Amino acid sequence: MEAVVALERDAQLMLRVREGDDTSFALLLERHRGPVVHFLYRMVQNQAVSEELAQEVFLRVYRSRKTYEPTAKFTTWLFRIATHVALNSIRDRKKEKGHESLDEETLDGMERQVAERQQTVEQEMVHEVKVREVRQAIEALPAKQRAAVLMHKYEGLDYGQIAAVLNCSESAIKSLLFRAYESLRGQLAHMA
Amino acid sequence: MICLGKNQQGADLLTGYLAKTLDAARTAELNQHVQECADCRSLIAVWERLDEFAAPEITPGFDARLYARIAADEMRPSWWRRLLWRPVAPLAAAAAVVAVLALFLRVPGTPDASKQASNVEIEQVAQAVDDLDLLIPIGSDR
Repeated sequence: MEAVVALERDAQLMLRVREGDDTSFALLLERHRGPVVHFLYRMVQNQAVSEELAQEVFLRVYRSRKTYEPTAKFTTWLFRIATHVALNSIRDRKKEKGHESLDEETLDGMERQVAERQQTVEQEMVHEVKVREVRQAIEALPAKQRAAVLMHKYEGLDYGQIAAVLNCSESAIKSLLFRAYESLRGQLAHMA
Repeated sequence: MICLGKNQQGADLLTGYLAKTLDAARTAELNQHVQECADCRSLIAVWERLDEFAAPEITPGFDARLYARIAADEMRPSWWRRLLWRPVAPLAAAAAVVAVLALFLRVPGTPDASKQASNVEIEQVAQAVDDLDLLIPIGSDR
């Protein structure tokens, strides 16, 4: 089934890249730059790092052009690379986590002081705090659950694709997503 | 069981419900259930809350940086070539040292080892003959 889908536009473009057509690579970049960067941003929650990782993803795509075979949907392959790169980065950056938490606590304190002075700023801060809670809830998910939720919620990948990206069965993905959403509900229910 | 929180297809139903892709009967059933179930309401609210986690705009120059990186990558030798060269380099250096040493040993004017060995043998034989001569009593007839 996947092989049939692979004859889509993206796979055709990638086959042209394999033949040396760099314009097709530019088209693929144009189509997928946003989703890949945004997925990585929500995974690592750092803009500079997410763009750096996205470049690594597209570099790997370009490097693999000569051996590319459309055995799966292009986006599945692309997000598989992106997820691999993101999970490696998360693993490598775990040691730096302590410093980031300290920075955020300091920022929280500053935000509270400003919010007391200005009503409009306070409303913005309330929104910011809510967004931060969502970010922290997503960040608190195990990396694989996080990747599954982000692909499902924000990037519109179907269960089959997410299963192929994370190398497990569709039923396992449904179960994984179910647990992830339940976990998010547990953390964010007070905001509802 | 239609309850999103108690159904293994909960995520499936939830996305279908929010995307309005469920059939009419399923949608009506879920509408009714959500009115009564606080857990499902909070799950839907949380799903909607996730929309607030927006990703920032991509910084200008992203493509230029990528193409520069690709160009630099293309200039590098491939991994297998680097791998191939890694053990060859010290081997080549060792071979060069051996070659220089061999050349040095064969410099004209430097006594050849085999020649040196044969000279030593002649000297030793001559010495032995001289020593034997000493054993012969003086004045005796040979």
